Amino acid sequence: MDLTYSEADERFRTEFRGWLDANLPAQWRERGFWAKQDRDEGFRMRREWEAGKARAGFAGIQWPTEYGGRGGTPAQRAIYDEEMVRYRAPLTVNGLGLTFLAPTLMVIGTDEQKREIIKPLLHNEVIWCQGFSEPNAGSDLAALQCRAESDGDEYVINGQKIWTSQAMHADKMFGLFRTSTEDKKHRGITMLIVDLRSPDGSPAPGVDIRPLKQMTGGLDFGEVFFTDVRVPKTNVIGVEGGGWDVAMLLLSFERGSSAMPQYTGFRRELDDVVGLARDLGRDRNPLLRQRIANSVVELECLKYHSLHILTQVEQGKELGAASSMTKLQWSETHQDIGELFADVAGLAHQISGDGLDDLQRSFLWSRSETIWGGSSQVQRNIVAERLLGLPR
Amino acid sequence: MYFDLTDEQRALRSTVRDFLADRFPLSAVRALYDDDTDGDPAELWKSVGEQGWLAVLIPEQYDGLGLGLLDAAVLARCWGEGCVPGPFLPTLVAAEALRLGGTDAQKSAWLPRVAAGDAKVTLAHGGGVTETGGKLSGTIRHVEYAHVADALVVAADGGRLWLVDPHGAGVTVTVTDALDRSTVLTTVTLDGAAGEELAAPVLPEVLDRAAVLYANDLAGVARVALTRTVDYDKTREQFGRPVGSFQAIKHALADLHVAVTMAEHAGWYAAHALDAGLPDATLAVSVAKSKAGDAAREATAAMIQYHGGIGYTWEHDAHLFFKRAKRAEYQYGDPAEHRERIARLVVDGA
Repeated sequence: MDLTYSEADERFRTEFRGWLDANLPAQWRERGFWAKQDRDEGFRMRREWEAGKARAGFAGIQWPTEYGGRGGTPAQRAIYDEEMVRYRAPLTVNGLGLTFLAPTLMVIGTDEQKREIIKPLLHNEVIWCQGFSEPNAGSDLAALQCRAESDGDEYVINGQKIWTSQAMHADKMFGLFRTSTEDKKHRGITMLIVDLRSPDGSPAPGVDIRPLKQMTGGLDFGEVFFTDVRVPKTNVIGVEGGGWDVAMLLLSFERGSSAMPQYTGFRRELDDVVGLARDLGRDRNPLLRQRIANSVVELECLKYHSLHILTQVEQGKELGAASSMTKLQWSETHQDIGELFADVAGLAHQISGDGLDDLQRSFLWSRSETIWGGSSQVQRNIVAERLLGLPR
Repeated sequence: MYFDLTDEQRALRSTVRDFLADRFPLSAVRALYDDDTDGDPAELWKSVGEQGWLAVLIPEQYDGLGLGLLDAAVLARCWGEGCVPGPFLPTLVAAEALRLGGTDAQKSAWLPRVAAGDAKVTLAHGGGVTETGGKLSGTIRHVEYAHVADALVVAADGGRLWLVDPHGAGVTVTVTDALDRSTVLTTVTLDGAAGEELAAPVLPEVLDRAAVLYANDLAGVARVALTRTVDYDKTREQFGRPVGSFQAIKHALADLHVAVTMAEHAGWYAAHALDAGLPDATLAVSVAKSKAGDAAREATAAMIQYHGGIGYTWEHDAHLFFKRAKRAEYQYGDPAEHRERIARLVVDGA
């Protein structure tokens, strides 16, 4: 057991903190700052700031330098994540591209795809969204129906994607489309790159993007409709009919990711709930004290678990389905903290002044966290079948 | 950054596991339930002593191995996995009191004997014990294995610690009949018993270290209870299919797997935090003990439930795990007590 970081890793932390001190505007770190910004303007600010961070070398921490990455260690990646949350730095606007698309292309992309996609993505020149879910294909992703029909050296896309995060700002989509209805349902799927925008920034011909209002009132995701949208066959990622395997590879890149950012963020949120309990004189209530402590227990366990996962990654061990445990632990715990906030505040948790405050937004948002990225029920199936070996 | 056992610790674990499976399987634990013995497996004690495992926390100058609490936690987890009876953890805990707070003479007298497996010691705390002129009086309940101990470390009111001869005048030890027979709980009555005070009042440190060891015992209990339940539900068929294929059972076992895994990580972390003197060590102790207590209770209760009727029988092992989990849940602070301690740290800033 040795929970210290190496000297080189600690030097990286110092260097990154130095950059954040110099380049992160103080008011951006204030609570509720982003909620007050106009949605499009806020997005533009974050996009540019993040591009500057990439130019300074603080992006793609673990990526090889040939793709514009930093060539750092898994520990440096964990330190980066931790410091971003500690500084309340704005989170990435290109998360799906960074987490999923780029690592996938590094493994199976064509030379042209690697060259033309990865670095521009890192520098936010192109914003990516992911087109997986459909109205009738949620947890049962392989039931997707959005068609891409072969026509010479192009595909013609018709259908709909839904719950598309960042749909309103994305330039391009990587998505799963049905290229055959004759094969078994997992086999007739192909992963394609689709341009969503015309050069002037308006939706491309045949593309219709509509926002979906969430229960927070926000518009962070949307629906994308395709009508006879033509895509060149060079836009296939992997091979035609191999989309399911590509998707599994792509989703595997979530596994190595540590939950330290969630730990850091949720612990701070819990501190705010404790502060609220004190302000309201409810910090002597023994039941609330037990529940506060229980959330501390679960969060500390998440921290220990994350350190263990980080060790596994550094040792080059295959993590398998362990990420399902991580997701269950952080998403369920965050939901408990949301409930705790409401119970501490009482009826006052309903009242918002100038928009939702941070705890209110988290309370509502935590309801989505046990659904997206694999619902808790799907995660429990994965834990039961792949980690415990229970029969299907 | 390395959050895992070392190769040496893993080797120790597999040696202990193999030894216990060979020399003291659950059938031997069961014998303690069915036979009317003193509940102290003397042969097992002797052979564990010969292996040197009781020496793990004893400094080298007292013929010990001078290892850390994490190494002791590896052993504790193995004891839990096998529901191993005997005064092993009690002796490790009481010897920690002597190591941390004993006079040089007390250390020289007792630590080498503990290391060699020649002496059993146990901690008697939590009672209302008063002291006048070196004489102790009071009653302490639920003291493990005082009836076979060679020395008692008694915590008197105010947190001062005393070494007491259990066979001396004014000491009465009464064996009680506990549900869990992988321990023996006794009542120690002191009536003007002679005590020899330790040099330092180290009870809080000792209780923290005990909580970590029992948390690891509980994590071991929980893991085996879960694994055996999963194995059973893979093959037990109802409605023409394995019951483990039903999501009602799958999801419950998946949640338990997460909980038990967290308890395991917390057990390692707390032991290391005390070894390394990390700033969050106190918090980590309470996290580990409360999480392990909850996880073991839930996993062993699930062991009964997801075995169905057979799990409720005397012949089945489920009750061995369930009863041990319930016993250790309350030793050195139950989950609610540790959560209240966490609240004092986090809410009150104490």
